[in-house]
Amino acid sequence: MNIEIKEIVFISIVLLTIAPCSVVAFSRNILYSAFALFFTFIGTSGLYFFLDADFLAIVQLAVYIGGVLVLLLFAILLTKNIDDIKKTNTISLRRSITAGITVLVLFFSLFFVFLSTGWTPLNGGAAYPNGTIHELGRLILSKYLLPFEIASLLLLAVLIGSLVLAGKTVRQRED
Amino acid sequence: MEIITLQSFLIVSLILFLTGLYTIVSRKNIIGIYMGIELILNSSALNFASFSRFAGRGLEGQVFSIFIIVLAAAEAAVALALLLAVFKRQRGIDADKLNILKG
Repeated sequence: MNIEIKEIVFISIVLLTIAPCSVVAFSRNILYSAFALFFTFIGTSGLYFFLDADFLAIVQLAVYIGGVLVLLLFAILLTKNIDDIKKTNTISLRRSITAGITVLVLFFSLFFVFLSTGWTPLNGGAAYPNGTIHELGRLILSKYLLPFEIASLLLLAVLIGSLVLAGKTVRQRED
Repeated sequence: MEIITLQSFLIVSLILFLTGLYTIVSRKNIIGIYMGIELILNSSALNFASFSRFAGRGLEGQVFSIFIIVLAAAEAAVALALLLAVFKRQRGIDADKLNILKG
């Protein structure tokens, strides 16, 4: 059994994705959880490269790390004092036992199902021949045009709604 | 033995999903719960992309992944704005203490 360099890179990217998840789930400091989430997002972007999804990998980097994570860090720093940040992310013990049992049962059953099912690739396992951006743009603007427009409407609603929710409320003075 | 197969991607996204589930159930802080939701959305997008790569002929699964990422970004903005509003009103974001709607 010889392992190629591509597979070594794949295994290290999988470890980069999975290992910080435990920090996200178990760390008591919420800033450590946020930074661990950063590595998980980077690892997922690398996995998209292994799936020949170049556009998705770039979108993952831009949206998650550039947008979601920065927003998350702002929210953490705006809502908690830095002094007591060591115990900001506490775990409810009773619920964590229930969740742990559920997660273990789900993991072993689904793991067995995934390994015992014979997945045969429909197209012989061949990758998509060209870059995906051209075809993705064609699909979004022809077959999935309606969801695309709905998504743009949703983004507009989110823009206005989050401004209304988080913006400063100017109290009207009653004279 | 092949390593880069559909199964390994499925197992990676399974682990992402289950840690997200555990995080959602066990955390008390709303931001911690939100991180679990992000992990679950990540794993579902990864699942769509891997099925599109190994079991499909076109790129339609990747279109679904893009829509999931768009929804995750929108959800992030709204959830964190709601969280700031809650913090301004209650001086704390412990999910167990947000029960003022209980009769």
